[in-house]
Amino acid sequence: MGTGMIIAETNRLSVGYRNRNRVFRVMEGLTLSARRGELVALIGRNGAGKSTLLRTLVGLQPPLGGSIALDGHALGEIGLSQLPKLVSFASTEPFTLHNIRVRDVVSLGRFPYTNWIGTLTDADEEAVAIALEATGLSGLENRSIDSISDGERQRTLIARSLAQDTGLLVMDEPTAFLDLPSRYGIVSLLRRLTREKGKCVIYSTHDLDTAINEADRIWLMTGDGVSEGAPEDMMLTGEFARAFESPLLSFSITDGAFSFVRSRQTGIALEGRGRVAKMTVRALSRCGYTIDSRAQPKVTITENSGSAEWVVTGSGEDKRYTSLYDLVTHLPQADQ
Amino acid sequence: MSRSRTRITSVMTGLTLLMIILFMADLFLGSTRMDFAEVLRSLFGHGDPGDEIIIMQFRLPKAITAVIAGVGMSVSGLLMQTLFRNPLAGPDVLGVSSGAGLGVALTLLTLTPLFTLPEGSLFSGWGLILAAWAGAAAVMLIIMTVSARMRDIMTVLIVGLLLASAISAVVSLLQYFSNEAMLRTYVIWTMGNLGNISYPQIRALALATAAGLMISFLMVKPLNAMLMGETFSRTVGVRMDRTRIVLLAAASILAGSVTAFCGPLAFIGVAVPHMARLLFGTTDHRTLMPGVALCGAATLLLSDIVSGLPGGGQIIPVNTVTSLIGIPVVLWIILGKTGLGRRF
Repeated sequence: MGTGMIIAETNRLSVGYRNRNRVFRVMEGLTLSARRGELVALIGRNGAGKSTLLRTLVGLQPPLGGSIALDGHALGEIGLSQLPKLVSFASTEPFTLHNIRVRDVVSLGRFPYTNWIGTLTDADEEAVAIALEATGLSGLENRSIDSISDGERQRTLIARSLAQDTGLLVMDEPTAFLDLPSRYGIVSLLRRLTREKGKCVIYSTHDLDTAINEADRIWLMTGDGVSEGAPEDMMLTGEFARAFESPLLSFSITDGAFSFVRSRQTGIALEGRGRVAKMTVRALSRCGYTIDSRAQPKVTITENSGSAEWVVTGSGEDKRYTSLYDLVTHLPQADQ
Repeated sequence: MSRSRTRITSVMTGLTLLMIILFMADLFLGSTRMDFAEVLRSLFGHGDPGDEIIIMQFRLPKAITAVIAGVGMSVSGLLMQTLFRNPLAGPDVLGVSSGAGLGVALTLLTLTPLFTLPEGSLFSGWGLILAAWAGAAAVMLIIMTVSARMRDIMTVLIVGLLLASAISAVVSLLQYFSNEAMLRTYVIWTMGNLGNISYPQIRALALATAAGLMISFLMVKPLNAMLMGETFSRTVGVRMDRTRIVLLAAASILAGSVTAFCGPLAFIGVAVPHMARLLFGTTDHRTLMPGVALCGAATLLLSDIVSGLPGGGQIIPVNTVTSLIGIPVVLWIILGKTGLGRRF
């Protein structure tokens, strides 16, 4: 891992749009790279220019400055028939057609290799079969695209890219519109492709959780450019925090996750251990309490053969609760 | 896989047989009663001289025209539906037929009275065809410009509708200033007519349609990629600007040529591609292209037979028949369980 050949490289790249007489620079000075066998997550806020960067990288729009090299060749020097064999792209373009079979969609990935009429040779059929297998779509190949789930539809697009047999796969928000298990399913599939097939996958996402857990390298878009590194590097240097922090959110290095900022904090003492205590801390902090052993009132957890009880002492009469919901709804709301 | 291939082969065979049967029926049926043997004898030049004239001069050219026009309009519709990624695209819906009609109207209503042209120069084909092509291509260009800016299906359809209305207004103006004989020719033309076409005209129509079909068939691979959208097509190496122009030219040649001679044949272009998709169960243009052609020929032959049903020399305008066949299909697309734009 991480020792593969560099497959995509940008040097002082500027991306954006050129109109007849105006130039809209979205980002400039981007020097980034990605290696074979790596999963790269491009992360940034809405409108930061993630799609623009990806579209420039695959040659859909010209760079405004700087250079891009794919597989060691300058992008501008790669022929139009050669480029589709180096890099594939799956965008968020919605499906407008509905009675096409999964297999037919995946077969279109063989476009750069087939003859003028698009006949699939045995080698093409095999590539399609391998792509279907690797994405877990075997058995669904004759289903129509509108009879499968959103996650399976996304897998179909990944299979199509895979059938294109390129070293580099670029995907614009492959996990958008998916539920949590499907999001994890897609990202772990992408990771598996980098490990088992030696592909380099660059994908953009809003989903920090999966990116932090699965990506080898993060391209993090901030207001003043893109920085890169392992997810943990980003946490250590505080770049995640800087990129996303707002008055409402704070980033915790230890959890690798964001949490809401509570404006006022009230102390509360807690006695207890284990999972129950952890959940109790969560619930209390959601309501604006911080744990402070010297504070009043005090919550004591007693566990009895799998069921827990919470006793509140120090604020008048002792009270006993059997669920966290009861506990926090009866405590005075600290954040109001 | 093999199951779908068997289905394609059997549907293709069935459609070919159906087309042959309809072609024969179209020759056989008409105001003059003839038995089957007489039709065959006339076809091979051994029949009764009177019957031979009816078959060779009237029914055969009409049936051949029905085949060519059916193929041309339907394939043009298929190209437009994929090009615009719009299930309701078609030569008449997008105003392309009207554009061709404007070309024809300008030729019939203005040029003809101005210059006394020798019989056979303008009507023999190429003048009318060129005018129709120019009109069709002009409308296609406008529609394409609009659809490049507005991805919305409805917007493009509404612009097509407006264009058609604008053109019909211009045509009304032309009619106002033209003489009665010219007006009559034009009005009959608008009803759609598969007869009244001479062999030299059929030759011109056949050549133009063959050219349009050839171009279309060379484009099946990019057409299949375009089903997945423009971004995908470009990233697998389709040169979109060039492909669009070629498809625009092919669709205009096909719809323009047919419209020039047969009038604006309504709803064939929109409806037939959907019939073919339903019959073959595929969106692959390698199958759809010949499939749509066969369906189109069969549909127009059937329309021609129906239009002659009243008998005794009475004829329902073929345009009326194609509308009656096509409109239910279009309604089914709009109201179908998956709704407009979903069934494509």
